[in-house]
Amino acid sequence: MTAILKFIPFWNVLLAALMGLGDWCRFAWASITWTFRPPYRYHNFFYQMQFIGVQSLPIILLTGLFTGMVFALQTGKTFALFKMQNLVGSTVGLALAREIAPVFTALMVTARAGSAMAAEIGTMRVTEQVDALYTMAVDPLQYLVSPRVIGCIFMVPLLTMIFNYVGCVGAYLVGTTLLDIPSGPFLRHLYWYVDPEDIFGGMLKAAVFGFFLAMISCYKGFKTEGGAEGVGRSTTGAVVASSVTILVADYFLTTWILEFFTTHHH
Amino acid sequence: MIEIVDLYKSFNGTAVLQGMNLVIPTGKITVIIGPSGCGKTVLLRHIIGLWKPDRGKVMLDKVNLSALNRFQLNEIRRRFGMLFQHAALFDSMNVYENVAFPLREHTKKSEREIQNIVVEKLSLVGLSGNEKKMPSDLSGGMRKRVGLARAIALQPEIILYDEPTTGLDPIMTEAIDNLILEMQRKLSITSVVISHDIPSAFRIADQISMVYKGKIIETGTPDVFRNSKKEEVQEFIRKGEGKG
Repeated sequence: MTAILKFIPFWNVLLAALMGLGDWCRFAWASITWTFRPPYRYHNFFYQMQFIGVQSLPIILLTGLFTGMVFALQTGKTFALFKMQNLVGSTVGLALAREIAPVFTALMVTARAGSAMAAEIGTMRVTEQVDALYTMAVDPLQYLVSPRVIGCIFMVPLLTMIFNYVGCVGAYLVGTTLLDIPSGPFLRHLYWYVDPEDIFGGMLKAAVFGFFLAMISCYKGFKTEGGAEGVGRSTTGAVVASSVTILVADYFLTTWILEFFTTHHH
Repeated sequence: MIEIVDLYKSFNGTAVLQGMNLVIPTGKITVIIGPSGCGKTVLLRHIIGLWKPDRGKVMLDKVNLSALNRFQLNEIRRRFGMLFQHAALFDSMNVYENVAFPLREHTKKSEREIQNIVVEKLSLVGLSGNEKKMPSDLSGGMRKRVGLARAIALQPEIILYDEPTTGLDPIMTEAIDNLILEMQRKLSITSVVISHDIPSAFRIADQISMVYKGKIIETGTPDVFRNSKKEEVQEFIRKGEGKG
């Protein structure tokens, strides 16, 4: 059987990828089962929420504001061709709620917190601190991975909400000043077209992204081998793998959410 | 009693443990010696279940460690303490927090009780007054002693020492040797000590075992060991004592 499989192009690459995926699934499953067993370390959990959420706030505010601004500018210039600038608010609002806010927030959190997770756990791995946890009968999956994953599942959706808000503020500022859209129609369209389902759909996505980015980054940290260079490799690997997973998962989640969640009959 | 039965382990095709058999008696000090890279640390990691053997088993009081799931293994590790070769202190915590860590995790002691234990353990290893220092501010020998204080904080039944005295000065080496002896005598803790230090091994051991090329080639009391007929053992003793 394997003799035949070897004729498939890039068989070794495929095999390595599949084995990596299988290993990750086992890691994720083990982490999930540890999460629901006592003791519950609230301190670690709140510390991670603070690190992932509160400390990401400045970068989310900044990127959210500018994303909303540039999106309003681009759509405004295009819509002006059809004299439909009034739709800028609703277009930007919808795009932010459904796609841009969850994806951008998840990518920013990956860059900031995911890389830190991989580097921190990776360093603990190569300096035997992870093994020390095992020997002290403290499972590192429970102690290190669970709080980070739960922290991300909670905080990425909240950061997404904030991204939504400042994005709309940015679009409003650009729309009403640079594009000369009257404030009233801008806000009315925004209010009319963006439904709670759009926001909740986006937040649901964000929670899934949070799960993936934390679980992948922790996994990469856990599998670190070989000193400082290994930690560097894990960190890069964590950011790349998480980002790709977020974008791929986004497509599949969107098809599902569009199918079952959002009902638009305007 | 810890029983190591026909243990095999390879890493990327390199056989490290090649059919290792050893009985570690309860309440005694067993010193495991052998040249670098012969598999001593690998053996120690199997005893506490950090690694699973390719073949063979580690039995702790009739329980096969390799057959346990991760939850059972975690439970059984409460009976162990381990000192790592490079101490493996948590670098995000200071000395006090490192030693207090197992107490906070596994006991319901008040902060005052924890403080008393930490102060006591630190004074045992000769590091009183260093509570607030971070691991990065300590020398290698000091880190190792903090690691030892952390390993003994919960007074486990079994303590595994990976080269406890390597890198320490002669006075500190003797102090650590005495500490290991004292804990065994007072609390009848089972100690497994990995060492290169022949004079110290003869001083503290109830049983000495030598690992050579992935196998135990000699086991016995210090006297039996000293009079071993094996060429490798005699050479190791000769060179070790000449150096020490």
